[in-house]
Amino acid sequence: MEARRSRPIHAQHSDTGPTAPALHLPAIALTTGLGVLVCSVANALSRATLAPSSLIFWAGILLLALPIVYRLTSRDAPPLERLALVCMLGLALVLVKVVRDAPLFTFSDELVHQFNAGEIARHHHLFRFNPILPVTPNYPGLEGATSALVTLTGLSPYGAGIILIGAARVSLAAALFFLFSRISGSARTAGLGVAIYAGNFNFLYWGAQYSYESLSLPIFIFVLMALAERNSGPREWGREWAVPIVLGTAAIVVTHHLTSYALAVFIAALAFAYWFVRKDWRWPNPWRFSILAGVLATAWLLLVASSTFGYLAPVLSEAFEAIFNTASGEAPPRALFQGKGSTIPPTPLPARVIALLAVALLAAGLPFGLRNVWRRFRGEPYALIFMLSALGFFSTLVLRLAPAAWETGNRASEFLFIGLAFVLACSGLVNLRTKAMPWLGRAAATAAIGVLLVGGAIAGWPWDLQLASPLRASAEGQTISSPALALAEWAKRNIPEDRRFAASTANARMLMASGERIALAGKTPDVQDILIEPALSGWELPLLRENDLRYVVTDRRELSSDATRGYFFTEMGDLAGEKLLPSSAISKFGAIPGAARVYSSGEISVYDLDARR
Amino acid sequence: MRGHRDLRIACAAAVVCALVGLLLPVDAVRALFVVPLALLLPGYAVATATFARRDLSRPLLALISLSLSLALLALGSLLLNYTPGGIRALPWAILLVVIVVGGCAVAARRREAAGPAPAWRWPRPRALALALSLGGFAAVIAAVALAAATVPAKNAIGFTELWVLPSNGAESEQAQVGIRSQEQHVVPYDLLVRVGSGLLLRRSFRLQPGAMKIFRVSALADPGGRPIPVTATLLRQNRTDKVYRRIRGWLPPPGASR
Repeated sequence: MEARRSRPIHAQHSDTGPTAPALHLPAIALTTGLGVLVCSVANALSRATLAPSSLIFWAGILLLALPIVYRLTSRDAPPLERLALVCMLGLALVLVKVVRDAPLFTFSDELVHQFNAGEIARHHHLFRFNPILPVTPNYPGLEGATSALVTLTGLSPYGAGIILIGAARVSLAAALFFLFSRISGSARTAGLGVAIYAGNFNFLYWGAQYSYESLSLPIFIFVLMALAERNSGPREWGREWAVPIVLGTAAIVVTHHLTSYALAVFIAALAFAYWFVRKDWRWPNPWRFSILAGVLATAWLLLVASSTFGYLAPVLSEAFEAIFNTASGEAPPRALFQGKGSTIPPTPLPARVIALLAVALLAAGLPFGLRNVWRRFRGEPYALIFMLSALGFFSTLVLRLAPAAWETGNRASEFLFIGLAFVLACSGLVNLRTKAMPWLGRAAATAAIGVLLVGGAIAGWPWDLQLASPLRASAEGQTISSPALALAEWAKRNIPEDRRFAASTANARMLMASGERIALAGKTPDVQDILIEPALSGWELPLLRENDLRYVVTDRRELSSDATRGYFFTEMGDLAGEKLLPSSAISKFGAIPGAARVYSSGEISVYDLDARR
Repeated sequence: MRGHRDLRIACAAAVVCALVGLLLPVDAVRALFVVPLALLLPGYAVATATFARRDLSRPLLALISLSLSLALLALGSLLLNYTPGGIRALPWAILLVVIVVGGCAVAARRREAAGPAPAWRWPRPRALALALSLGGFAAVIAAVALAAATVPAKNAIGFTELWVLPSNGAESEQAQVGIRSQEQHVVPYDLLVRVGSGLLLRRSFRLQPGAMKIFRVSALADPGGRPIPVTATLLRQNRTDKVYRRIRGWLPPPGASR
């Protein structure tokens, strides 16, 4: 380790002179591009409601990933090629998300952040109101960064957003590669570690969406990398590395609450690990940066984003309560692979098997990885933290069994998976070989990472949403829009910007993102109950008036309360199973004096509560 | 910055990219110039200023440039939020150019003590390697183009929108009755519009998918200073036994807006 520390920084990462490059990288670039194309074809078939076999999609994923992974397992690839490969892998998996949804955002959080970005572009200032997730404007790093591209290029928030998320993903992959190579001293281990990290449950979709964590997580890993570089060099370099560490920390604090807290905790743990290893708080112990991250995050929370308390506290308290209830037997455990609604199709058995196999592989590799990391790197504080993270990851799997705690576990996993990826990369599987099969370890590692990628994606995102649904379609050469999108387009064309809507979750998000109108949904204020109850209660009309909600959007489809599924065309095959609200839940608004139904598209109606001025 | 070719290029590139971003009307071309201005150059300038006396490897420098640029964009918007112009194109362009030029100036001054940075050399790709890479790039472009294209969705259930609203804002004495087809095929419709108690409008027409028709109606008689109901009923010609859509709006009484 000392030898590794003393090597100049450029020597570790730049055995990359202008020699004639081999054909591996270009050939893999071709297969990666073709893999993305296959995924795009699968999504196009799905948008065309042709119910393509999901095997096409997964074949595309494997086509883009496996050549990269197999090359990463080789001993002879130079570090720069490995770096290029992991960046290619990260970017290609973002493109899989892009070709699912282009040219519109469709994930529930994306619509919230798109609205924020649009508000900044329209009003030229941060901290505008967001009625769906009021906490999000208080963390404007992502939308603020987007505004630079939107204002200077004229691109839409969608176009600017995917450029930004793509850049962030490249940054994540490269930073993780440098971090792992610094700790392990091996570019091969680092490359494999990044490939394994791509198998985390949130990497394919959640982590590629236009959402604040998709920017903060790459910067988080960059800060960890910068800390590792700082700590491995001579002391006089420390001041220089402090600049990117401080800038990165500040950027995380203004971008995402949980990541800023995770950063403070991680650096604090690292400081303790340094103390544990060296029994010394002095250089290079990074405790000062932990305090800095804690102070900045706390100051931002108290001075700017105090609403974060109200946002996070219920989530965490419900998670704790759910864990307690499930553990004590008061509540049944959450069934895996099961959506909330009865109309949501179950995950097929083969897909469940692959997802469980992925978890089993993680668990199987863990002891070998822990043993090797302990043997080789136990004097390295980062490695100790990685080992603890790897163990912590498996505790988050338990949280998935508690109904209200699964999201907490899911969100924690993408941080803890960093350590798990490093530990598994050190498991030694790739070195397995026999005389007859010298390639055995490489093939086994490639296959295992392939299972992790597919299984992780299945575990992290609902099965029925892996492929795109139609939001727009072409009909006789023209374009038609889904009911929710058509409503948003109508509102944008016809309703003044200062008018506000009450709507179900999906309609409200679409009204905000594509309609650029303020729409309230959910429980605070309790718009949700107003929309679904069969008759109006005394408190409901005053609440609507109090919140200046002139337009009420009713939607008979229960699916419109689903923030992930409520945006798309209803398909022929879904009609039989579609659940509808009672017609009285809609018609009750017509009985309000002065109100009138001013818009109808079938299941969706808009009531103007002040039509008869 | 004499003797520091990379810094001179970075400064010149920042100014050119900012000018293109501000002045050129074609969004796609602007994007090509603005992306390096926003996502590479600010981080590069700060990184070269910070590590002026270190020989960072090119890949590490590229990573720091990208990551710091992302961080600076997030923080830069916060700064611009409190400037008089707010978050607009010109303040962004000025801020980014100032960061790049300032960073490069600091880097040049610090470097002079340590000697100039080594010149960059680029590998020369083989023709086959270039062809393979371009093939991969072309596949990605095709994938994105396919994703952005709307495709027929035969099993998607179409529908028709009908609305009635005041024509030009709340005080208008005209109402607009709008119909937009989101159906899969050309559909023939009958539209009946009643203003007050009388039938004012009856139209039969066909709409292509995605097409829209707007009718404007106004009150014929003053019902005594009260708002006048406007009721629009839409029937599909092949199903005239059943009301397809019915909605209602209100018009202010004639003269109310004067």
